[in-house]
Amino acid sequence: METVEQLLTNSGFRPRETVDRIRRVFIDSLHLNLREEDLHYEDKLDESVGLDSVAVLDFVTALEKEFQITFEPEMLTIDLVRDLKELTAYVDERVARSAPGGLQ
Amino acid sequence: METSNAAATAPPSSSTTAPLVTLNDLLWLLYLYPVRWLAIFLPRWLLYGLGKLSNPIVQFQSRGSRARAASWIAQVCRTTPANARRIASQSLSNTMYRTLDALLLLRQSADKMLCCTGIDGLQHLEEAMDRGKGVIIFTGHFCANRLAVRYLAANGYPALSVHNRSPTNRAAGRFGKRFMEPRAAELQARANHDQVYVNDPDCSLRIMRTLRAGGLVFLQIDGRGGTMAIEGPFLGLPWRCRSGMFEVIRFSGCAAVPIVCVGRSSGFRIRFDPMLEIESAPSREAFLSANLPHFFSVVEKQVLENPAEWRLWNNF
Repeated sequence: METVEQLLTNSGFRPRETVDRIRRVFIDSLHLNLREEDLHYEDKLDESVGLDSVAVLDFVTALEKEFQITFEPEMLTIDLVRDLKELTAYVDERVARSAPGGLQ
Repeated sequence: METSNAAATAPPSSSTTAPLVTLNDLLWLLYLYPVRWLAIFLPRWLLYGLGKLSNPIVQFQSRGSRARAASWIAQVCRTTPANARRIASQSLSNTMYRTLDALLLLRQSADKMLCCTGIDGLQHLEEAMDRGKGVIIFTGHFCANRLAVRYLAANGYPALSVHNRSPTNRAAGRFGKRFMEPRAAELQARANHDQVYVNDPDCSLRIMRTLRAGGLVFLQIDGRGGTMAIEGPFLGLPWRCRSGMFEVIRFSGCAAVPIVCVGRSSGFRIRFDPMLEIESAPSREAFLSANLPHFFSVVEKQVLENPAEWRLWNNF
């Protein structure tokens, strides 16, 4: 029985790529004067910059557009959105699920 | 219409350092402790009797803002100065009864005490809900809003309501801001668990979550302030309000239904109006230009129909 992680890897998803894209979306959507390297994988995104409610929403909608996914209502939480590691895992999972023949 | 990151500006006011304690703080102290304790067992008519007794003090304490409100009302409502003064005074009284009703909402039996004399236009809400993208029910700052939210929740229409954790109170002293306002917010949260504060970083996400689940969100769109403010004409003034809610509406594609509720817990009436047609737009600015005037126009109409029920007249 393959784990979700193995399935993702076998489907060709590379977390590094995802996290870099998320970083780029974060910086672009919020018009931040930061470099991608400033956003560390283990850090919380709001440790680098103050996030207000509208900024969070802008970021989420930009992510949805970038990855062609829709966040499930119950996953729209500040804890997930600010945590780059968890967010990357979730985005990968959503992308895998929305891909043709993806995980069900 | 313009957008700005600047803190919202209000109509003319004195912006000196607040005194340590004001009469307003003392009234809140009375309200939050002895009156709240009494409200646990006092019947409503007796609580309202206390309100009637304290009305002259409230009117005296707010005499400055009431005079400013009267001249604003006379202009906006095109009425005589005498009638405008009466409306300003009635608005203050209604605001006070609203705070007494808020104490009743803390009771276990609150839902049974709410006497709704009728709901008009419920089909407009149902129609909007059938679209499946969630519904924002919006209005202005009317005295009976909390009663409506509570009553609707008890009758199968629960709504996430959006509030300001620290609304502007120019009459408050430092004592009031430090101790009374947080306590008042705590009680407010106790009366309605399903609420979110515009000041919280997860506010927009919680609203979005509710809408995506097909739920209802209750918004008072005439709230002033916010770090991202938009400005448009409202009741004859350049009005700066929070832009976040419009971003949520734009991104969620939800429906928007006007609601107005007037009265007190002893007798109030709710009305839903037909859904507002929201124009989609590619950018935030274009969306605001296309839609903000419609939202403001609906709420202006509500205010002009029920001027004594709108409680922001006396806030400046």
